[in-house]
Amino acid sequence: MTTAAPPSTNAPESGAPEAPGRLHRAVRAILTRRELLLVILLVVVLVWMTTLSYGGYLTGPYDPDYLSAALVDAVPLAMLALAELLVIVSGRGGIDLSIGAIVSLTGMVFGFAHGLWGWPVLAAIGLAILVGGLLGAVNGVLVAWLGFPALITTLATYYAYKSLAIVINDQKPISTPSIQSLYSMTEAVEIPVIGRNIPNVPLGVFTFLVPTVVLVWLLLARTTYGRRLFAIGTNDVAATWSGVHVAKTRLLAYVLAGVLAGVVAVYVTGQFASARPDAGTSGNGLALPAITIAVLGGVAITGGIGRVSGVLLAAVLITWLNAGILLLFDGNNGSQFQLLALGAVLVFCALLNAYTIRRYGGTR
Amino acid sequence: MTTTSPPKTPAGGPLGRLLGRRGPRVIAPLVSGQEIVLIAVIAVLWLVLGWATPAFLTADSLRPLLIEVAPIALIGVGMTLVIVAGGIDVSVGSQMMVCGVITARLLVDAHVSLPVAMLAAVAVGALMGAVNGVLIAWGRVHAIIITFGTLNLFQFVGRQIFGSQTVNGIPETLDVFGRGDPGQTLGVPHSFLLTAVIAAAVWWYLRQTPGGRHFYAIGGDPLAAELAGIRVRRRVLLTYVITGALVGLAAVFTLAKGTTTLDQSIGAGQELAVIAAVIIGGTSIMGGRGSVLGTILGALLVQTVSSGVTQLGWPSNLSDLFVGLFVIIAVGTDLLRQRARRRSR
Amino acid sequence: MAEGADGVTPRLSMTGVAKRYGAVRAIRHADIEVAAGTVHALVGENGAGKSTLIKILSGAVTADAGAIVFDGAPVQIANTTDAIALGIATVYQEPQLFAELTVSENIFLGRELRAGPRIDWAAQHAKVVELLELLGVPAKDATAPVGELSIAEQQQVSIAKALAGDAKVLILDEPSAILTDAEIDVLFGVIRRLKESGVAVIYISHRLDELFRIADVVTVMRDGATVGTYPLAELSVREIAELMVGGILNEERSAREVPDAPPRLELRSLGLAGKFHDVDLSVRPGEVVGLYGLVGSGVAEIASTIYGIEPATSGEIRIGGTSVRPTSPRHAQKLGIALLPADRKRQGMFAFQPIAFNISIGHLGLLSRLAIWMDRARERRVARELIDRLAVKTPSERQPIGAMSGGNSQKVVLARQLVERPDVLVLAEPTQGVDVGAKEEIHRIIDGLAAEGTAVLVVTSDLPEALRIADRLLVVRGGTTIAEFGRDASQVDVLAAAAGARDESPATVATEAADETGVTA
Repeated sequence: MTTAAPPSTNAPESGAPEAPGRLHRAVRAILTRRELLLVILLVVVLVWMTTLSYGGYLTGPYDPDYLSAALVDAVPLAMLALAELLVIVSGRGGIDLSIGAIVSLTGMVFGFAHGLWGWPVLAAIGLAILVGGLLGAVNGVLVAWLGFPALITTLATYYAYKSLAIVINDQKPISTPSIQSLYSMTEAVEIPVIGRNIPNVPLGVFTFLVPTVVLVWLLLARTTYGRRLFAIGTNDVAATWSGVHVAKTRLLAYVLAGVLAGVVAVYVTGQFASARPDAGTSGNGLALPAITIAVLGGVAITGGIGRVSGVLLAAVLITWLNAGILLLFDGNNGSQFQLLALGAVLVFCALLNAYTIRRYGGTR
Repeated sequence: MTTTSPPKTPAGGPLGRLLGRRGPRVIAPLVSGQEIVLIAVIAVLWLVLGWATPAFLTADSLRPLLIEVAPIALIGVGMTLVIVAGGIDVSVGSQMMVCGVITARLLVDAHVSLPVAMLAAVAVGALMGAVNGVLIAWGRVHAIIITFGTLNLFQFVGRQIFGSQTVNGIPETLDVFGRGDPGQTLGVPHSFLLTAVIAAAVWWYLRQTPGGRHFYAIGGDPLAAELAGIRVRRRVLLTYVITGALVGLAAVFTLAKGTTTLDQSIGAGQELAVIAAVIIGGTSIMGGRGSVLGTILGALLVQTVSSGVTQLGWPSNLSDLFVGLFVIIAVGTDLLRQRARRRSR
Repeated sequence: MAEGADGVTPRLSMTGVAKRYGAVRAIRHADIEVAAGTVHALVGENGAGKSTLIKILSGAVTADAGAIVFDGAPVQIANTTDAIALGIATVYQEPQLFAELTVSENIFLGRELRAGPRIDWAAQHAKVVELLELLGVPAKDATAPVGELSIAEQQQVSIAKALAGDAKVLILDEPSAILTDAEIDVLFGVIRRLKESGVAVIYISHRLDELFRIADVVTVMRDGATVGTYPLAELSVREIAELMVGGILNEERSAREVPDAPPRLELRSLGLAGKFHDVDLSVRPGEVVGLYGLVGSGVAEIASTIYGIEPATSGEIRIGGTSVRPTSPRHAQKLGIALLPADRKRQGMFAFQPIAFNISIGHLGLLSRLAIWMDRARERRVARELIDRLAVKTPSERQPIGAMSGGNSQKVVLARQLVERPDVLVLAEPTQGVDVGAKEEIHRIIDGLAAEGTAVLVVTSDLPEALRIADRLLVVRGGTTIAEFGRDASQVDVLAAAAGARDESPATVATEAADETGVTA
């Protein structure tokens, strides 16, 4: 039954003010379209590093071969950042500090299954996924069902999982021959047909990263679950009133994060040819860079906002930036400056995200 | 609890009568329910461990425990302030590295006296705390993200100052806080004594002064606190500065309890132990509620578990598992309390 | 000194006050004079301007025009601090206290009594006891956090806090809405003591009958202007209602025919412990039933119980004759019940998401394949159909809802309810915060929905709206349905019923009031 009012006009009802002038519009575009900012930064980094390389300031060539090889590190970081994306988007202070510990523990389980008990690789991977999902489910039950604050809860499970990973094989890594043979899955390979003209790409990019990115993107953009996840992250009260099962949706986000961590564990085991008890928890752990990349990629810490493309670009940016830093400084200095870069990026991006949300209603 | 007739305990309970108190209780009891539970748990653990390994309850075993507790408890005092006021600081581990290496360098390379080195450590710590505080109070970003970032930044600074891998030749002047005889009086380590004194002072401040109570208001409702005339941003900044200063002092203690060589692992993971101690001690992660006494007890519990695990010959990393469990229990208890209250309204 | 007599400077006077929000004039012209030591009631329907007037007084907003004179001197109230400094304190329904702090800490926050660097707990406690005695309420446990007190007690603490700050004018915003009858008696005792000590109490309420028990004079507001101030002794509830409503309005009523069919929605003795009880109503397909109640009457809870947010504890709900028990919104939706939430921002909107998202959420199973894969083409189609049907002003279904006006975003949230053609549609405050044009459009949409055969239940505190669109209007008061009106009801009748007029003659009411205070009117 149509109303008596005339059909919808084309006049925009937008409440946002008209951007006066091109500079304003450009700034606004850069701030609100995170991918745009990231691409710009990526270009800046590439240009800067390549220039330094030509000028002989670097200890090694910063060329396509090097960059391609550096992608080996982008794979686990990007995947874990996607895991954090899911959890942070789910809202209510969602975050997962335990994700590095899940990698460690699941990696050890994988090591046992494939390395010591002789399970076939696929079965062992299945087990890793299952265990990762279970560990994530513990987080999910506590946070989504029981209402525990995510920060302190995943801090506690980080402690628990980290210690289990170390204790489970008496602090020893597992590097039996069957594990070591997995190294080949992370090696660089030549791409068929056009391979001669472009650098070799680590196999893991195709076997791990690309499928994950595609699946997560499909999940968020094309499935009903993705809608529900953004709904609960944007306004979980309204989501309840709309009939969405908030607890189940949020719980699943933590489970999926655990599953992703399980897959990363398999990759990292292959990458180092060894299932190490501190695979995800050495140094500052993998959770910190994962969260940094997510925040850099435009994920709002308050929930409801985040895109796979942003996270992916951010992961590549950080990887190539770190790779350049390693060449720029020698020895230990390199890894130290990576810390500086990571810290500065996180603080800067967090401030930027907050400002963008206040001023423009968030990134897109 | 409401009363429609004069309060049930006119003289504040038997203890109150003992202390000569007349009239009703006007201030919350010295020890809260949760803290009593903690004391009981610690006591039970000590007894059980003492029974399982008789060596545990000796002075030679308990003294190192107190020495280990001191730095965590000390930073915990500051962290209690931070969390009560609604924030969090995960950069304290890195802060400790910076303060530690600066102190070590000053003592070894510049040959300064211990008091001067201590002062420097506290000042540097306070400065780092100020960086955190300014970014958090004025940047309007959640504390966890900012301190994640500064964690990295401070670590970078610390490593740069370290230069080479380790600092060797830490002098004996630190022994006044160390494990040996110069480090104790009447069997109690100096570091723990100093920690206890500082904790008592902060405890008194939080309990008895307007400034102290204002932290609770800020943690409960920052907007309402602002309306009540409290300068929220300044007080939040203060919590991080105090924490940083205490980290500086704790770094000195940590240096003292180690060997003559300082390596880059100092401070690694400390933030987690400190936060765990504070939460287990009954401070609510949501802010607005908590006590220094609880934090000290929480630190004691965490360290007891750690020492106990070692004494029992279990893998040392197992203690982390127990700490994680205790944190979950503490948070769960806090949640239950909040829910019970909401239902009774 | 308590001065209540004529010819003395009033404690507070506001003249020519006006305030507009954009195109909406919240207050056109307001004049009010409040004398010290009196209880001054302020009444008016929703949208009449009461809350805006109070916000101006408490410093939450500033007036566009008008003068405020306090104790004879002109003043500016630019913010809440100014108001508090003057001695104007406000107590809202939701206690603005720090739940984890004790009573004395809350009362003295920011102006603690000291003994050197310490807080003088004993002195504070003594003062708290003194204040509470002044108010005539028992002492509270000094060491319990305020969050553990009941709502009524927290209200008392808020009032004590105002008194501790030397409040000269105390504004009470609908204080009785959340109290039990016994607690209201205590509150009135407190107010009388305040009056005796010279405080001017401004008492805002919809419960007109209560005013006769506690207030001396009443100022009536209507359509953004003060109509006048009258001593309560000279009025009856009905007369106040008439003043609130104004002259006989030519109220448009629907001309729709309601088919005679068995009711689709029935509530029989429905109850939810502590919120409402013995609610009976029925809605036929093609009928619009209005449920009108003031804040605290239980009317909002009835709506959310039908929708499964809080399942009922007694009685039954019937849909199409079958007894059902919705236990969650999802369940309610499956039963064919849709509900438009009252608080659009908090319960209805997903702010940064596009219109299509806001419409399709909650119907993802329908708009997808195998309930997993989103059918975006279908989603777009459905969104566009509804945008057209409800005349939502937008260039595309992809526009984020956050930037839209109140009326448009409300239409989008309404559109969400219509995706699956509900059997029963409950609308809670359907035009709150909506401009006049969109309001009329929404009313027409509701009429149209009924004409299509939907059973519509409108829960609203906007009386003209209720009268305009409802075929039958039920009044809820004190947690239960007390009266029913047909299309021919007048606003005054309904308002009087809702506000609790029993025996209408002024004499009876005045005697009752006199009995309470022990003073002849």
